[in-house]
Amino acid sequence: MIVLAVIAAIVVAAMVVLHRDMSGRRGSGLPETFDYSLAEVKRIDPALIHYRQTGEIAVDFQELRAVCVGTGDRIYVAGDKGVEVFEPPGTKLQQFPLDGEPRCLAVAGGDHAFPGRVYLGMKSRVEVVDAAGKRVAAWEDLGPKAILTSIAVADHDVFVADAGNRIVLRYDPDGKLVGRIGQRDPDKQLRGFVIPSPYFDLALTADGLLRVVNPGSHRIEAFTMDGHLETWWGQPGEAVERFCGCCNPTHLAVLPDGRFVTSEKGIPRVKIYSADGQFLGVVAGPDTLAPNETILEETRPDHRLPVFDIAADSRGRVLVLDPLVRKVRIFESAQGSGSAMGRAGQQAASSASPVNLQGSNRPNSGE
Amino acid sequence: MAESQTSPVIDRRSFVADGLRVVGAVGLAGFAGFLAGRRGAAGEMVWQIDPGKCIACGNCATHCVLDESAVKCVHSFPMCGYCELCTGYFEPNPIALDTGAENQLCPTGAIQRQLIEEPYHEYTIVESLCIGCGKCVKGCSAFGNGSLYLQVRHDRCKNCNECQIAVACPSNAFVRVPASHPYLLKHRKLSG
Repeated sequence: MIVLAVIAAIVVAAMVVLHRDMSGRRGSGLPETFDYSLAEVKRIDPALIHYRQTGEIAVDFQELRAVCVGTGDRIYVAGDKGVEVFEPPGTKLQQFPLDGEPRCLAVAGGDHAFPGRVYLGMKSRVEVVDAAGKRVAAWEDLGPKAILTSIAVADHDVFVADAGNRIVLRYDPDGKLVGRIGQRDPDKQLRGFVIPSPYFDLALTADGLLRVVNPGSHRIEAFTMDGHLETWWGQPGEAVERFCGCCNPTHLAVLPDGRFVTSEKGIPRVKIYSADGQFLGVVAGPDTLAPNETILEETRPDHRLPVFDIAADSRGRVLVLDPLVRKVRIFESAQGSGSAMGRAGQQAASSASPVNLQGSNRPNSGE
Repeated sequence: MAESQTSPVIDRRSFVADGLRVVGAVGLAGFAGFLAGRRGAAGEMVWQIDPGKCIACGNCATHCVLDESAVKCVHSFPMCGYCELCTGYFEPNPIALDTGAENQLCPTGAIQRQLIEEPYHEYTIVESLCIGCGKCVKGCSAFGNGSLYLQVRHDRCKNCNECQIAVACPSNAFVRVPASHPYLLKHRKLSG
């Protein structure tokens, strides 16, 4: 009897030990409500993807930070401590070194006071080099809080986005500060730029307005060069026509016909919007930009998904700077000309998105 | 024939010398013990989560020997963006940006949301409700700055020799750290 009891006890103990998940391989055992998954929201209807990748340019830098397009569709990439310049279809023209790490850049066009100049945003100051890469100026340092994230060049002005101070600075081409745009003013119901993370982009459009991303408000705001807020568009949400997460989009570019290209982080999406903010279609989604699915839900800082800067050239091609593979990826409309794609996109958008994403600062706009 | 018993003679000089030897030996032993004790305290190690390795798998919530896990979410305020739409606080598609339970990501309601200045909000962990599941950590990391992360709270950790969470941790994020510096805190400010 005692022997049987001892054997039974040993069997029960063995079952308990074997049943126990010592290594955690069976997971936490928590109910489904404790799961966090972006699988649903990252899915994009293939019918909305109107672009396909047609080329790519390998970059020598280890750390890629910004891309822009200059005269003749030359592609400028800022990374490490320098700039690489490529000529279509991807021939490397030159590379010039810098003393510091550039975070953003813009190239002056033919109508600018100094055509061909490259304006570089270091962490807290603008440096200017000529077309050959020779440094010609270093503007005032904006202090330890400044984080320069974007530059746009007009004929007689240079606009600089400072994410750290949540302001857009307007300079003349010689580096003299002539204006500040987007300051917070509760008395005028202006809550300023909301920038939770250091992504704050801007671009100039043919209508003479400065388009500034207000990421914490999930919208694109249009200012006159004097700093008056004219209009805005964009809505928060995980749906494809909206801007996802806490603070998106991170980057903005303008196509030759006035349409906008946006890039989002978290759920990496590059999308096209009409000039008045109607969603038209997708250039590339998570399946293209982050084929490794687990990277979307990664918590380790050195494993998290990078952010994709974008630019557009004179042919309407969308350039995506991919730090993961260290390449500039070139996307073209899969439906022929940009206008054709635009019409198709409009139709897709009208069926997929009845949401009005627009607003303005005019009275009774519903803002 | 009986032997005569003679007791040893202890003079004053030898008594004092013996006494000094005993006192010296006791003092030396005490000093050595003091040093040994100090060394032992300095060398004591405790368990902690390395935020650079943690993948917020959820095992911390269920593998701790305590009924309520010693692992809690903590918040690095210098890293936080004080977002109106905090993805560590809100469900991916919240109905509204308010504190309604249906909008909250945390299944135990362990995060408090407070308006600081329009549109900025502060998010604070209620440790008595947090079970260390890491769901908010994933939400914050997916879109935001990664300011929410998990740590072993040493006011309740039993510091088991064989920590059951460490055994079950799939990313080897559980490490031994000196008891004098028991936390691995995130300090990085917003800098890009």
